[in-house]
Amino acid sequence: MSSVRRKKQLESAISIFILAVLAIIAAAILQKGFNTDITRFGIDTAAIQKTQTQDSKSDVVFELAIMVPAGFETLSAAETYTAENLYEKINGKAPLYTESGFKKLFTRRFVSKQNENLVMELFIYDMDTVKNAFSVYSTQKRPDVDALPGFAFAYRTTNALYLVSDKYYIEIVGFSEAQELFEAMVETAEKITGELAAGKVTEIAEMTLFPPENIVPDSIKLYVANAFGFEGLTDTFTCRYKLGDETVTAFLSRRENPEDARSAADAYYNFLLSNGGTAKSTAVKILEGRVVDFYGTTEIVFATGPFVGGIHEADNQKTAEDLAVKLINKLSETAKAGEK
Amino acid sequence: MTEKTTEKFGRRQFLARAGKATASIAAAGTASYLLYDPAGPTAAGKPEELVTLPDFSIPHRPGQTISIVKGTNRIETVNKAIELLGGLKRFVKPGETVAIKPNVAFASPPMLGATANPELIAEVVRLCYGSGAKKVYVTDNPINDPLSCFTLSGIGKAAEAAGAEVILPKNHLFKHTTLEGGKLIRNWPIFFRPFEKIDKLIGIAPVKDHHRSGASMSMKNWYGLLGGRRNIFHQDINTIIAELAMMAKPTLVILDGTEVMATNGPTGGSLSDLRRANTLIASTDMVAADSYGCGLLDLKVSDLPYLTKAQQAGAGTTNYESLKPVFAAID
Amino acid sequence: MKIVTARRISQVFFFALFVWFCIVGTVGDKFWQLRHWPVNWFLQLDPLVAIGTILTTHTLYASLLWALATVILTLILGRFFCSWVCPFGSLHHFTGFLGNRKKSAAQKIRLNRYRWPQCIKYLILIFFLAAAAFPSLAATLQTGLLDPIPLVTRSFNLVLLPLADSPVNLASAGERFYEGAWLILAIFFTAVLLNLVIPRFYCRFICPLGALFGLLGRFALWRIGKNQTECSDCKLCETHCEGGCEPAANIKISECVLCFNCREDCKDEIISYQSRPSLAGETANPDVSRRGFVLSLAGGILAVPAVRLSNKLGSNWHYRAIRPPGALAEEEFLKRCIKCGQCMRTCPTNVIQPGGIEGGLENLWTPVLNNRIGSSGCQLNCVACGQACPTSAIRPITLSEKKGLGEFADAGPIKIGTAFVDRNRCLPWAMDKPCIVCEENCPLSPKAIYTQVVFNTVRDGVLTVKKTTDKLIETVEENIAPDKFATGDYYCVTETGERRKITANTENSIEISPDNQFEKIPAAGGKIEIQVRLQRPFIDIEKCIGCGVCEHECPVSGRKAIRISAEGETRSANRRLLLTWRPVI
Repeated sequence: MSSVRRKKQLESAISIFILAVLAIIAAAILQKGFNTDITRFGIDTAAIQKTQTQDSKSDVVFELAIMVPAGFETLSAAETYTAENLYEKINGKAPLYTESGFKKLFTRRFVSKQNENLVMELFIYDMDTVKNAFSVYSTQKRPDVDALPGFAFAYRTTNALYLVSDKYYIEIVGFSEAQELFEAMVETAEKITGELAAGKVTEIAEMTLFPPENIVPDSIKLYVANAFGFEGLTDTFTCRYKLGDETVTAFLSRRENPEDARSAADAYYNFLLSNGGTAKSTAVKILEGRVVDFYGTTEIVFATGPFVGGIHEADNQKTAEDLAVKLINKLSETAKAGEK
Repeated sequence: MTEKTTEKFGRRQFLARAGKATASIAAAGTASYLLYDPAGPTAAGKPEELVTLPDFSIPHRPGQTISIVKGTNRIETVNKAIELLGGLKRFVKPGETVAIKPNVAFASPPMLGATANPELIAEVVRLCYGSGAKKVYVTDNPINDPLSCFTLSGIGKAAEAAGAEVILPKNHLFKHTTLEGGKLIRNWPIFFRPFEKIDKLIGIAPVKDHHRSGASMSMKNWYGLLGGRRNIFHQDINTIIAELAMMAKPTLVILDGTEVMATNGPTGGSLSDLRRANTLIASTDMVAADSYGCGLLDLKVSDLPYLTKAQQAGAGTTNYESLKPVFAAID
Repeated sequence: MKIVTARRISQVFFFALFVWFCIVGTVGDKFWQLRHWPVNWFLQLDPLVAIGTILTTHTLYASLLWALATVILTLILGRFFCSWVCPFGSLHHFTGFLGNRKKSAAQKIRLNRYRWPQCIKYLILIFFLAAAAFPSLAATLQTGLLDPIPLVTRSFNLVLLPLADSPVNLASAGERFYEGAWLILAIFFTAVLLNLVIPRFYCRFICPLGALFGLLGRFALWRIGKNQTECSDCKLCETHCEGGCEPAANIKISECVLCFNCREDCKDEIISYQSRPSLAGETANPDVSRRGFVLSLAGGILAVPAVRLSNKLGSNWHYRAIRPPGALAEEEFLKRCIKCGQCMRTCPTNVIQPGGIEGGLENLWTPVLNNRIGSSGCQLNCVACGQACPTSAIRPITLSEKKGLGEFADAGPIKIGTAFVDRNRCLPWAMDKPCIVCEENCPLSPKAIYTQVVFNTVRDGVLTVKKTTDKLIETVEENIAPDKFATGDYYCVTETGERRKITANTENSIEISPDNQFEKIPAAGGKIEIQVRLQRPFIDIEKCIGCGVCEHECPVSGRKAIRISAEGETRSANRRLLLTWRPVI
């Protein structure tokens, strides 16, 4: 009889052991199930579901999850905004972008797996062209910042970095000034540029048109429209020069052809006069009829070849004129080389 | 049996089974360990074993690099042309095996001139045996069906009558190769096995107009070494011909300009496409041979970009005059 | 606790686990979505998958190592998998139980007797393994057709789950469709319903995995058997015998699935799980005749080259079979694909479909893309299918490899085919209707579709001028459909060749923009032509990756005016379109 009981005990023991094994299997599987990281699939299901529900005119679904730096994971869902609803994200700043060719904003936050205080928010503005991206980058550039090495156009503040990569303007804002976070932000920036601009060099050809001597580094800006408040000055680059202890701003813009350049130059000249400027005489021959005194500052505008160019708001007429001549020479050189 | 013996018997059986089970487990474990592949297959799958076509060229002899013989009879002109370069004994030593790669591209009768002349090939085979060759093979990877090509062109019969063995292309005779410095011949199958173990290689080609490449002569002849879907290379025909000249390093090429296909090449079809030029060229530099040969089609070197490309790649020279060609004429 | 109770709990556990793995198959980070759930675990535990791929590829791929655990346990314990783990087996077990409930004991015993066709599953196993055994000559992995784990996986994932989920769409974002699902369902249902004829019909007669376990269990340390010779021969032990192994007499060990029902049913406790062979005798080897063995072996070996006479691996390759990105070259692919359908389940856009036999017999239930189904062709930034494949028939590529970035920049992006514009059906090419939906939707940057502008005079588009005023050209003809030409695509061309965009029109007048008047006003009596501005799409075959978004979006919704064909796919060296693609060496 006891052998029967022992058998039954053995049977029970084995059965329970088996159930225990099942429980361990269940626990192990559950543990795998708690891992929510789906970056290995590449896709963002939220984005896929959006395309399933969106109308068929779908744009490129942008995947930010793959740009997560090591040790970080996604926090919050990816958001995209078009020109219609950009203000929902950045409110009053929206026109800055929408008036410069803005197409789409992609944004997401990442958080460190180790330390939940290390959070970064990523903004990628698709500005449609390199020039537009550079424009919003350069016109928003904070003064007195450090350049960020390793990128064509990038600078950093104590907690954020800003860069241009191909047609995208990218802002990565850290929610703390921790060095560890900043390094992760730089890694993200590298991943993004690798992803978005693989093989592409972000170049702005017009930047080499300025005479290089005495340029204030990284001071070139691009105004896509309304440079100096005049709507006729579109696609205009400005650049600051340090001449002695004066800082002078030069500008230039490429037009289709010399006729267009001349009419643009004339238009701006007339605009200055009709807004309170007075024509100024000049000793420099080629600048005759090109200099305006605008409420105490000197404005110069000329056309050479297909370029409109000039000096803006200079304090000293002589310095302005010297720089103007240098600019004219450089531009006409380029124009001639282009003709060949 | 008593219970004790049945128990012992049972235990022995159990141990036997336990032994077998353990052995099976060990075998399964070992197999798993040896075959374990955590990384999985790569994009290219198994890397093909790459081969390189051997170099069959012989040392350069100034003044005996290229010979040009005028005459109406191919047997006479080829004998003279080879004699002028030092005789076949310079190229083929006794006991060596030779492969002859003629143009057998089409299932076309010899009179239409789309393939190499069978008598010419037979004569070269005979000369090789006369020089003491142990064995001569005649082979090509034609465009049309191989057996019909070798048969209709008369080359199969002529070669065998002269004592050569014809090798028809078969799948297992192809191996993949990558040409060093090549842009197109990368991991590409070539007709390799017939050339693997031989000592000398001779190419024999007629001079033909070619619709795509301008002309088909001794360099284009090596297209017959390519396997796979080689017609894709027609998209960059000049580069591929130049690369063929880089890849193939034959002992000797014979370029038969006795009757050239002046129009409608490479297949021709009408006897009116042919024109008598009565010239036969033998050369150790195929680029030079073709550079002279194109003149027979009223073309200039500059009309055939692959010539210059091949020269730039170091496969030969287009300036055949610099090689001091030897001329002769047989009436 | 009784062992049979443990077994029932185990069956429920693994079946529930299996169903859970089916439910969570949608990529996502919610609890009921894929996350890191090990949804391939059953396939990885399946030794037939492991052994099949070992034969065809001479490697044991990564996580298939789990099968070693199953093999070791089987070698020690016997054919436990069939009645403790296999979800298909549990389904058969349960159906058989339901069907047999009302039968008498005598009827049940009769149903459970050993039948000689139980050897057929061994012949099926031998056939499949023989077909896989000679990869250097010709080998194909077809075990997936009848291997129960892939079979039940695709039946649930591709048929039952979409049917159950379609009204509520909990498991997936949208409705799921799978071509040829009817066949998968038919086979599944037949297998399940056959249990009403003979319990565990599939397990006993067909299952090649069960056959494999039967072979592996020969040296099991413990087996079912009688522990004494005195037995009343009541045969109650065979009332609920699942394996059809006849424990009452000479027990056929290879058929025993360790359900322990016999042990439970024997009132005299004569049946036990013991280390010594049954005292009523046991047969360890399956009942396969030499003739059957040889025929199956020969059949398997010959079947492969016979099927391949169709030249589907050569020049007669099936160009409408677009394989997912990361798929191996076809011959290697067929050595690994077990037709489990996990890639189809995982694909977020539902574009991966079970293939049919129009691509050759071996194409059945392998993944092929159908761009007309699903939400959008193959998404550019998605590599889910490779992650889902348990055997690496589709490699687990990274996004960088798929898009040709970083270290893969030299090799370029993976192409699965090329788009071809059907100029006979394309609206701007054949119908004079403006459309550039394909170009707009091409996800690449720069796009692989570009357009060239062409102006064509529309039907009945030559009109006579009656009078031209400020911006209005009045025509003699008075039957123009009002505003037909106001869409912004139509232009008015004068006899002097000036072309201006039409902003509006009435039945008898054409209006052009006031900012853009004609330089030479068309005179009365002269002719003007109405032209449509067409942007005709061209494919840049160097850039096109064959993703199929264009095909999906093309408004010609039947036979699409732009279709993907597999030429140019990077996985195959001999299907390239272009000269300049270089294979990765």
